[in-house]
Amino acid sequence: MTKFSRLLTTAAVSVALVATPALADDASPLVTAEWVQENISNPNVRIFEVSVDTGVYERGHIPGALNLSWHTDLVDTVRRDIVSSEGLEAILQQAGVTEDTTVVLYGDNNNWFAAWGAWVFDIHGIHDVKLLDGGRKYWEAQGLPLDTATPEYAASTIDLPEEAAPIRARLVDVLEVVEGGADVSLVDIRGPKEFSGEIFAPEGVQELSVRAGHIPGAVNFPWSGAVQEDGRFKSTEDLKAAFAAIGIDGSKPIITYCRIGERSSHTWFVLSRILGYEVKNYDGSWTEYGNSVGVPIDNPSGTVWGRI
Amino acid sequence: MTLSPSRYLVPLIAATVLIWGFVSLNSAGVESRPLALSLVLGTAFGIVLQRSRFCFLCNFRDLIEKRQAGGIIAILVALAVGAIGYTTIFGAWLPTPALERLPPTAHIGPVSITLAIASTVFGIGMAISGSCLSAHFYRLSEGSVISPFAIIGAFFGFGIGFLTWNSLFLAVTTNAFIGWIPHHLGYAGGLTLTLVLLGALAIGALLWAKPQATEAEAALTLETGVRNLFFKRWPAIISGTLVGIISTLAYLRVAPLGVTAELGSLARTAGTAGGIVPSSLFGLDTLRGCATIIKETLLSNNGLFVLGIIGGSFFTSFIAGQFKPRRLKGSDVARGLVGGVLLGWGSMTALGCTVGVLLSGIQAGSLSGWVFLVFMCLGILLTWRLARVFRISL
Repeated sequence: MTKFSRLLTTAAVSVALVATPALADDASPLVTAEWVQENISNPNVRIFEVSVDTGVYERGHIPGALNLSWHTDLVDTVRRDIVSSEGLEAILQQAGVTEDTTVVLYGDNNNWFAAWGAWVFDIHGIHDVKLLDGGRKYWEAQGLPLDTATPEYAASTIDLPEEAAPIRARLVDVLEVVEGGADVSLVDIRGPKEFSGEIFAPEGVQELSVRAGHIPGAVNFPWSGAVQEDGRFKSTEDLKAAFAAIGIDGSKPIITYCRIGERSSHTWFVLSRILGYEVKNYDGSWTEYGNSVGVPIDNPSGTVWGRI
Repeated sequence: MTLSPSRYLVPLIAATVLIWGFVSLNSAGVESRPLALSLVLGTAFGIVLQRSRFCFLCNFRDLIEKRQAGGIIAILVALAVGAIGYTTIFGAWLPTPALERLPPTAHIGPVSITLAIASTVFGIGMAISGSCLSAHFYRLSEGSVISPFAIIGAFFGFGIGFLTWNSLFLAVTTNAFIGWIPHHLGYAGGLTLTLVLLGALAIGALLWAKPQATEAEAALTLETGVRNLFFKRWPAIISGTLVGIISTLAYLRVAPLGVTAELGSLARTAGTAGGIVPSSLFGLDTLRGCATIIKETLLSNNGLFVLGIIGGSFFTSFIAGQFKPRRLKGSDVARGLVGGVLLGWGSMTALGCTVGVLLSGIQAGSLSGWVFLVFMCLGILLTWRLARVFRISL
């Protein structure tokens, strides 16, 4: 074999590999960095970055990925609400997403907002959104390429269902658990000091509640406990065991909450998509519950509002 | 030229520390890479500032008092090159310049009476202390006896700025507006206007200046090349171009240039811990600017950038034999502290300084940068005028 023909063969093999991208394991809610790399040019895959910090996407993102700004694209900026079905539809149409597209989300901070994006997408009918396991952190640590070009895709005509998926808990659902005897587990994913009521919120946070503490009956599982050091999720077995240790085993429905409902969607993703439990995320969370009139709270550290 | 051991020992130590810092940060994982890059950019910035004497006040003074335009031309070139660089990046990141969505992290700050007052006070602080903050950082390496006190003063000035922030914000800043030129004229129109304004200022400066006789340039040899690089002041066009390039690269990779964020966050952290600074500063964390960053970690991009400025300038200053401290006088301490407090208060209230608001702002097409420029100059001229009236030498 001459050097030239060897080169040709290598090229042909590479082209063949690129031309037949690996299919995502439909059952898994996660895709690996390797899978994403192989599918960067796959027209049936659309990757979105949802990062907490501004400017992260622009300074380098996974080639071909589009940017979703969580504080403008995925929320209703006037109502305290997530983006409407029409709003998300417009975003997806512009991004060229069709019914056959595999949507992959990823972001910084251990996929915190990417998981929230997955919850928003799921509510509006895109139920099989996948997260890049490890998010930006893992991608960068692997030395995989980043791009600064902003891609544009031919628009699609995707039509989202009007009916929202039942994965969002409201205050009445939570009160049904606290006072109405509904057999549902509550998982508070904030830090232990917030959970106990020792502090209202982490340093520098503006959105607060009148009282500190947690919803009676909730168990505490800080959200970052679900990820490994390298940013990837812990194994299914480890996650299952960690939650079982605090009495969350999927035998009954679960409601997750935090302070404003975003970090808890990360735990919603773990419990619902990875472990397959029945879970709703309560995005009103502590800022709504702790400010509500006439609802009971649990405040083990004794910092109840009004007590000096 | 004196040949003391410190002339080569200090640069050697500075270079060793900077290289060690870069290597250890760069090998500490993904999250530390921007820190390593900030250190490199700061070092480059410090070297350019020191080698070209890129000091806003000194250059302004050269123009007004000595009628030399070189330094001001360097600043205008830096603004022009950076404006071209920023516009190129904006076009890629944000194809449509709409006001609803500003380019991420660019210093496009609010325009208000507060900004005008703060810029004027900053200018007064410059005139009293003899430099702006970025120049004080590099002038440490030249043995300036005022600079250390000015930086200490600025730290306290920041604290006072945090104390007065809420009332000023409620009085004025809430009615402020964001003036982003590309939003009104598009990228091409905005850049054209910026370049025309800078060109007009350059023409004005050159018309006002007296022609300087330049020495004939020696033939380029290794020896003259080394002399040009390490011992002679770098030419205005070159230093301005380099500052513009560093600005652009910093914005592309890390954040817009600024030198006050770290000092401000240290002051805020200390003030909050001491219960002096209000724990809640209205709107501050939602506004765009250099001085609005909350300190979270020991090492920050801005902190390393400033350390780079100091390290880089120590490297070049000692080689060039420009470390020339003079005997400290009481008036130096007073000028440093008083000027520094005004610099700190001004830059906190304006959300940045000559680098964070003026340089990064004008380059980004922000009206706030121009407002800062105008009122800073007014503050300087006002102070010089009063100093003449009261026969105080500054």
